[in-house]
Amino acid sequence: MARFTIAHLYPDLMNLYGDRGNLVCLQKRLQWRGHECHIYSVGIGQNIDFGAIDMVFMGGGSDREQGLVYGDLIKRADAFRQAIEADLPVLCICGAYQLLGESYIAADGQRLQGLGFFNIVTRVAQPRLIGNILLETDLVGQKTTVVGFENHGGRTFLNDQRLKPFGRVVKGHGNNGQDGFEGMKYRNLVGTYLHGPLLPKNPSVADFFIKAMAARRGMSSTITPLYDTIETFAHQQVKYKILNS
Amino acid sequence: MLRTIVAIMAAKIIINVSRRFGNQGTVLAGRVALWLDPGILKKLAARVRGQIIIITGTNGKTTTSNMIAQILHANGNSVVHNQAGANMLNGITTAFIAASNLTASRHWDYALLETDEANVAPLLNEVNARQLLITNFFRDQLDRFGELDRTIRLISEGVKGRNIRLWLNADDPLMTGLPVETGLSCSYYGFAATPYDTLHNQDSREGRYCMLCGEEIEYQSFHFAQLGAFYCPNCGNTNPVPDYLGSDLQLDHNITMKINNLEVTSPYQGFYNAYNILAAVAVSKGMGIADAVIREAIARFQPQAGRMERFTVGSKEATLILVKNPTGFNQSLQALLNDHRSKNLFLALNDNAADGRDVSWIWDADLESLASAGAGISLLVCSGLRSGDMAVRVKYAGVDQELIQIESDLDPAIQKALSGPGKVNYILSTYTALFQCRKILLRLQAEYAPSVVRERA
Ligand SMILES: [Zn+2]
Repeated sequence: MARFTIAHLYPDLMNLYGDRGNLVCLQKRLQWRGHECHIYSVGIGQNIDFGAIDMVFMGGGSDREQGLVYGDLIKRADAFRQAIEADLPVLCICGAYQLLGESYIAADGQRLQGLGFFNIVTRVAQPRLIGNILLETDLVGQKTTVVGFENHGGRTFLNDQRLKPFGRVVKGHGNNGQDGFEGMKYRNLVGTYLHGPLLPKNPSVADFFIKAMAARRGMSSTITPLYDTIETFAHQQVKYKILNS
Repeated sequence: MLRTIVAIMAAKIIINVSRRFGNQGTVLAGRVALWLDPGILKKLAARVRGQIIIITGTNGKTTTSNMIAQILHANGNSVVHNQAGANMLNGITTAFIAASNLTASRHWDYALLETDEANVAPLLNEVNARQLLITNFFRDQLDRFGELDRTIRLISEGVKGRNIRLWLNADDPLMTGLPVETGLSCSYYGFAATPYDTLHNQDSREGRYCMLCGEEIEYQSFHFAQLGAFYCPNCGNTNPVPDYLGSDLQLDHNITMKINNLEVTSPYQGFYNAYNILAAVAVSKGMGIADAVIREAIARFQPQAGRMERFTVGSKEATLILVKNPTGFNQSLQALLNDHRSKNLFLALNDNAADGRDVSWIWDADLESLASAGAGISLLVCSGLRSGDMAVRVKYAGVDQELIQIESDLDPAIQKALSGPGKVNYILSTYTALFQCRKILLRLQAEYAPSVVRERA
């Protein structure tokens, strides 16, 4: 049984409602399988050793907060990028997802620099894209549905051949409300606008990250199945609601 | 004039018809009246002889304004008072029309207008209010991305340059920018140290940065959430000295405290209600109402629908509680965990517009407290349109899965909870399921009431 470490980047600044749910979900699902899971917070200026952690989680914040985070994260950009190339599982939601791209053009036309890991551009436009959303994804090797809630002013466009979308929008807006895709996936990195939160109602997505963490530790790629009746009920309840709305 | 009479008549008809169908017609009547006579709210508000008081803030608006209304009624005053949930211009117009006569010539002593923060500025364009009471600033489930900063700015810009007094919570660091930005005179209410204070707070992420200089502020102690004794090490920003100081607070079974020299007792529970009482008493004292009238009115004021309302079903007690955001949820959980009897817990989560379409906020409430050894949870029934989300939440909070049941329909779900093995029942619900829950509890209360045989006198 192993001890896993998840770094939660900038929880003080990037703290959407429900972000905590994603972390609690990963932690519990590791614990229920007999592992330990330690979550530690990384703030502005605090040290982070990407080689010593099993996963990175980062949520969203306001423009002002994203500016602060960018200023700090750009200093560690090389190490972060190398870790992503080395298959580090990373989940970036909303603002954190936008930050991975080249730039973010705010409502007033101001251009905020992104980390530039990928050729992704986000432009703010009216109206905000808000509501329940249903995706279809092949993240886990077979087609599964993903449910969540999106609330973003940014329209995100993936212009990068290396990237796949996280999923195809069945109902909702997705990256930009136009091309029918939602989020991005690259190696074990997922960027998405879905919260609600994402992982507890989509246990297969949570287990994707857990499998990836285990594989990097040289552990078997099959993980103990869990008794997900409640999670599945919640998933189906939202899915049914979305399909019938 | 004719236009005004027509508008009032039309609105009164709508109010009457919708009452017959069981709702208050609160929004539609006002909307129609404003459409027929856009100046109607201004005209009616000008009929208030005494003061117009606006009450805003995230939590506690309704309880606080109801308490002030009770005090004013006890003082023999006539009061226009809008209903909870009808707190935009339409709803406020309806309240005035319902209280008015056809020719709009009736006068009132006071108007108490409860409204959302964003509606303060538009409302001030219509009514000449001289007092604005702010209860607190918490992040609501609908707010995201620094929305709270924007909310505070909206109020600040809305009152700037007007002849209005602000009544502010001295324990909330988020309010410290308001006197500086607006230059208005302010009165403060706040608590001295209480036995319920803590050195750390778990449930709030607001108010960590100084509103004046942006540095991280430090706390001596917390009452709850971001409310407490704070100071900024950089610029010295700290709690203003309260004009109305709550002290000797005692929260078992009911609330007792001293407000300056006035001792009050209330049948309410919970620290958040102590704040509502403090704010209501402060404003009433400020309007010159006698201590004896205030004390009497507070003692008689009973909790309202969903604000710790008690029912008796057979031999069992059931308490109905409205939850609408993490801070309020935490306060309710704290209140029920202070009850050490074994309990059946019912949690209804809806996701209609008035509840918040995004249910993520439940993950920021401390449901983990239900999994602690002393919580005494015998059964937990999850209900409502998003019963699944609630069940997942409590499962991941660490509540024993064996105790969790899902029943989305409110009626069978409440019956299931009430038939659980716990000694008492707590029925928690978000806004749009609350009134149905209340109806069900009233019905069950009547069904299981012991029949009383009366003798002829
Ligand atoms: Zn300061």
